[in-house]
Amino acid sequence: MIFFNIWSVLHWYVRPFVKWFLRKTTRLCELQRICYGDKAGAQRTCNVEKSLILSRTKDVKEVIAFLDAVVVERRFIPENFDDILYPSISIIMRTKKIDNKLHPTFAPSFRQCLQQIWSYKQLIDEVEDLRCTQYDYQNSTHEEKLLKLWNLLQPHEPLEERISKQWQDIGFQGDDPKTDFRGMGLLGLENLLFFATIYPQVSSHVLSHSRHPKYGYTYAIVGINLTSMAYYLLQDGSAKTYMFNAKHYLPNIDLFHRFYCYLFFEFDKMWIESKPENIMEFSMIFKKFENAVRSKLTDPASVFRIKIEIDNI
Amino acid sequence: MGLLSILKKLRSNTERELRLLLLGLDNAGKTTLLKQLASEDVSQVTPTAGFNIKSVLSNGFKLNVWDIGGQRKIRPYWRNYFENTDVLIYVVDCSDHQRLQETSFELAELLQDEKLRGVPLLVYANKQDLSTALPSSEVAQHMGLHLIRDRTWQIQACVATDGTGVKEGMEWVCKNIPVKK
Repeated sequence: MIFFNIWSVLHWYVRPFVKWFLRKTTRLCELQRICYGDKAGAQRTCNVEKSLILSRTKDVKEVIAFLDAVVVERRFIPENFDDILYPSISIIMRTKKIDNKLHPTFAPSFRQCLQQIWSYKQLIDEVEDLRCTQYDYQNSTHEEKLLKLWNLLQPHEPLEERISKQWQDIGFQGDDPKTDFRGMGLLGLENLLFFATIYPQVSSHVLSHSRHPKYGYTYAIVGINLTSMAYYLLQDGSAKTYMFNAKHYLPNIDLFHRFYCYLFFEFDKMWIESKPENIMEFSMIFKKFENAVRSKLTDPASVFRIKIEIDNI
Repeated sequence: MGLLSILKKLRSNTERELRLLLLGLDNAGKTTLLKQLASEDVSQVTPTAGFNIKSVLSNGFKLNVWDIGGQRKIRPYWRNYFENTDVLIYVVDCSDHQRLQETSFELAELLQDEKLRGVPLLVYANKQDLSTALPSSEVAQHMGLHLIRDRTWQIQACVATDGTGVKEGMEWVCKNIPVKK
């Protein structure tokens, strides 16, 4: 603890000198060194974010405050990127004395970082909204989504009644799923629905595992617990590695759903491989899984893909 | 007598460990109650697959609270957690009128089990903040609690989400621990 305090004080005083020294010797500012030296993705974007947060330049602080305000208004979307980012980037380039003609690659690379950083911030707010929306059985869109989930997971078996024991076939606790979403609200349902919609084969494969006579588990309930894991990983910033390394996507709600699908697929694999005695081993295996995911997320070079091995042929 | 042994003696006096078992139907509020006892955030609870366990310090006792999932599929495993239980805490969702009978039945089953013989029972009549919730006296009557003769018992109205009544219940628990050793 004491060591940490001394280090943070030292860091505060020493950092400007180190930066000044590097600037003089490399003729590049810190942001340039990061954008040229670090690999695109989580490594570069996280370092740019760190550098911006630590900056004591007034103009940089103002740009950060401006972008944060845009996120609060939920206007940080691709259509607005030009209007928002063009002035922000030119302010920073002017204060840092970066000549666009001499350094034509800086702006696009820096812009990509800004897009990722503030999309992630906006995503946290959007996910929180969904989580705070309680599942409401009197809301027809909520009910439609629930029924759609049934039809996607059980295409050949019609639901006989809205209140039915059949819900347990897809791993809800009782005869009405409405109370199972709890603290994850609509986010839990949206996650399950996305998994079944975008990865129909993978999700039905996982569902069939959950019905294994010996190693079975409750699909929907485990899914809602995975929603909570994904939610915490997003909140505390651990999910940045996943989000910033996703090559063709910016952090948005779809990418969050994809992250969830990855977690579900991987959890299922670990569960089956662990050969659990019964469902009472869930908390232990779940914790083990979370630790494995967290350690993978600490490596900025990690790439996350659902590797489908067709084991049922 | 060395310092170490004095310290050890002090420790053993102040920290008696107790095993509390939290049971009840799914959606009764067991995990919320557990989190409330541990002063954790209760707004992000998920259904329990398996069980949760937390240690809480209260009135000089170290309470090891076991929260076991309440869904029907898990109930057969409840028995595996009965051994050495000091106090049984049973949570009832008082707004769930339809399943009042089911919850009474499950409790009656528990009370007949040999491993839980004589174990004090605290029933939390939860969700008293909902307009549809039955008062605790009525819940006690429905469940036939007054017919219990083989153990001390108590019913405590509570709201697990904001903590109302939870402390009172735990005070009862600490006062009614069976004398051991």
